[in-house]
Amino acid sequence: MHVTFAAGLLMLVMFGFVPAVGVLVISFTDIRGIPGIPTHWVWLKNYISFFSLAHRRENLNAIGNTAEFAIASTLIQIAVALAIAVLLNQRLRGRNFYRSVVFMPTVLGVTVIGLIWSLILNPTGGPAASLLALFGQKSAFFGDPALALKLVILVQVWAILGVSVVIFLAGLQAVPTDLYEVADMDGASRWQQFRWVTFPLLAPSMTANVLLGIVNAMQSYQLAYVLTGPNNKATQLLSLLVYVQGFGGVSYAKAAQSQGYAAAISMVQFVLVGIVTLAALAYLRRREARL
Amino acid sequence: MTLSSSPVGFDDIAAQKRTPPVYRRRRGAIKHRHIGSYIAVAVVMIFFLFPLAFLLNTSLKSNAEFARNPMGLVIDPQWSNFPQAWSQGGFGTFILNSLLYTIGGAGIGVLITLVLGFPVARGYIRGARQMMIVFVLILFLPNALITQFQLLLHLHLYDSRLGYILIVAAGVGVGPLLFRGFVTSIPTELDEAAAIDGAGYWRFIFTFVAPLARPALTTVFLLQAVWIWNEIILATVLLPDQSKAPLTLGLFRFQGTYTNQWGLLSAATILVATPLIIAYVFLQRYIVAGVIGGAIKG
Repeated sequence: MHVTFAAGLLMLVMFGFVPAVGVLVISFTDIRGIPGIPTHWVWLKNYISFFSLAHRRENLNAIGNTAEFAIASTLIQIAVALAIAVLLNQRLRGRNFYRSVVFMPTVLGVTVIGLIWSLILNPTGGPAASLLALFGQKSAFFGDPALALKLVILVQVWAILGVSVVIFLAGLQAVPTDLYEVADMDGASRWQQFRWVTFPLLAPSMTANVLLGIVNAMQSYQLAYVLTGPNNKATQLLSLLVYVQGFGGVSYAKAAQSQGYAAAISMVQFVLVGIVTLAALAYLRRREARL
Repeated sequence: MTLSSSPVGFDDIAAQKRTPPVYRRRRGAIKHRHIGSYIAVAVVMIFFLFPLAFLLNTSLKSNAEFARNPMGLVIDPQWSNFPQAWSQGGFGTFILNSLLYTIGGAGIGVLITLVLGFPVARGYIRGARQMMIVFVLILFLPNALITQFQLLLHLHLYDSRLGYILIVAAGVGVGPLLFRGFVTSIPTELDEAAAIDGAGYWRFIFTFVAPLARPALTTVFLLQAVWIWNEIILATVLLPDQSKAPLTLGLFRFQGTYTNQWGLLSAATILVATPLIIAYVFLQRYIVAGVIGGAIKG
């Protein structure tokens, strides 16, 4: 027992925890992407550099984008998912099929999803462009800096909506039916039943969804990467910046670049995600207790 | 809440649902409301299915036809787009790579889950309580892209299939937590009986626990497999050699090469997506169970 346990633990520590803790360690160094170049301790220099004037614009832009992406995608995802969950919780013909369809994108993966939406939002003759043309409008879609991030949010919502719907559906099943009977006897309308019975009892699912949404949105950058590339200012997210700084956007290109700085960005992001998540958790737990 | 022995799929959710009396009493209101519901469902279905239908339609068009009429239904279906995309993209190699990484990575991940989760759930190991904290912590680690790269570089596993598999195998996510919850539903009497019969621990865990826990282990495997199959950033960083690329990366590079040849691109996308959709149809109950279980644990 101890042998296999130790082996399993070793795997997890070696390839899971060591890299994770290592991020903090190497964020204090000027380690580089190619072996053989001596590494020095530079202590806080990477962090000072992150907040320095030279990087301020780039980093504030990334932080702003990350915040917009996280807030908007979490809110939209939860609102739409809740509506769809309530809709698909009714006795409708073929509702298992509808549920399956809504959940399906979660297995498709970012590359496939990225290609599908690049096609839909293709500026020359794609469906979205044709729709706009009906109103005499035109758009460059992902090529439009004012629009790119919003479209990435739309695709992100499309991609992971199913997860929230499934969690809400599980929560809706747990609401005791007799509560609706009582509410019905008291003459509560459909909306009142939703507002005062369903919604409060969904609090645990809501907590799960909000946390999932925040953590997901603050860390996921693959969609932004496949839809708009690594170096697009308009969709530059903190986690994407780690990749760009560490690997130059194209794999392994600028080997001379300091990966210590990229690790420092990773840590800044980690701390931000941690603060936001803990704050949200504290608020949601209080809210659950109140309800 | 823990995983029940048979995972909760959509059917089970449906089976639990009873009709609230409100439906029965106001007959007239039902129909009216349901028409509205069906309209809403139709909108949702269009939002999710139209992109796929459009993709399929485009995949059968030649470049000329797409340029002439991007929106219309295909007139002259180019079935040759599919074999052409397959051979030009070299997807055969990429699929084999992806299968290797996914089965290898998720397989090792399930093994880790099994050998860690069981003794921790039973308290057979000292520090079982602390291990629980570890299982939760692995869900909230910083983005370790840089160090994963550095680690493999120093282990001389950079640009090696094994190195990539080891990294993705360690991404067990909620697996150990889900599995630990499941083990509590296996009676401890079984352990005792096996010990009396003289079955060794390894035999016990692989011939008794693993088969009993198959639904849970399947869920754990699939959650990780879906993640690995679709992973792209780590593969980009850790496997610069094109011939080792997984399918995701192959498709992404294909998109870079054949920009705006939408017929070919769509055909390639469908080649990649179809196995996923087929697998999803058969395995969704496990994935759904894992997502619900994971959300509740997390």
